[in-house]
Amino acid sequence: MSTSDNQTPALHIDNAQGYLDRIIRELHALGNEKKQPLVTVLEYLSQHIRLTREEIGALKPGGENFLSSTADELEEIVAETGRAANEIMGAAESVEAVAVGTDPKTREALQMAATRIYEASAFQDITGQRITKVVRALQHIESRIEALTRACGDALAKSGHAEVPRSDDALLNGPQLSKNAATQSEIDSLFDSMDMPA
Amino acid sequence: MSLNKNMRIMIVDDYNTMLRILRNLLRQLDFLNVEDATNGEDALSKLRREPFDLIISDWNMAPMTGLDLLRSVRGEEKLRRIPFIMVTAESKTENVITAKQAGVSNYIVKPFNAETLRAKIGSVFGGH
Repeated sequence: MSTSDNQTPALHIDNAQGYLDRIIRELHALGNEKKQPLVTVLEYLSQHIRLTREEIGALKPGGENFLSSTADELEEIVAETGRAANEIMGAAESVEAVAVGTDPKTREALQMAATRIYEASAFQDITGQRITKVVRALQHIESRIEALTRACGDALAKSGHAEVPRSDDALLNGPQLSKNAATQSEIDSLFDSMDMPA
Repeated sequence: MSLNKNMRIMIVDDYNTMLRILRNLLRQLDFLNVEDATNGEDALSKLRREPFDLIISDWNMAPMTGLDLLRSVRGEEKLRRIPFIMVTAESKTENVITAKQAGVSNYIVKPFNAETLRAKIGSVFGGH
């Protein structure tokens, strides 16, 4: 059983349901008609806990390692695109090497084509950073689900609060979505507007 | 003002693909004296050992980020005058402000093209 920061034992959902069911059984055995509204409420709570447990259990489609294996798949995409980008650049470097022995016009055209290939190869860096952000989000979600499946009460309430990055960490957001991203000219304007010694 | 094509350039990025892109684009601009590092710590170690004329660094790296590298460089008497260009996908206003406050010489947003790289290097060294 996990414990909270002040060493108070965390209450497990299945334990809570067990206690409730036991109270309901003992109330039934008392034979007092005034108990009925209380029994009805407790039965409602017990049923609610049962449904909650089922919902939490359903958060893990495809087995225990569903999210972590999805993260692994995404990291493999980063590795594969990295290999592809390096192959493409290798080919461009070969083209440039061949261009050295050609006439000036052909050489310039081939070098320009190689430049465009180098520039375009940056896709791997950008997509890699985006995928890394998704992987971190999946890992965070997985840890929250783990907390939900293990605990309830105070522990359950605390698990809903994500850690807020502090200081310089808050500046590491990776590539912005196209609709939000600043252009180089906007960056230049901002940069030039700040009167600080470089 | 013409650029010294023999200047020694340190490029820093944790993606080998980006290091290769930078190296190729710099070669096309006739900058052949290029060394690389895959994170800030690695770069700082090399910068302390050998002289460099320009640093071109990514921001988002571990264990030492490009911002931490910039602050370390600006904090060391021997290194503090080396021009430092940040090349990063971090394009929020607060990123540019923070980098500028830390003493960055110029700022390039990924993805970038060869012309932007050429222009920023020229700008850092007083030419256009």
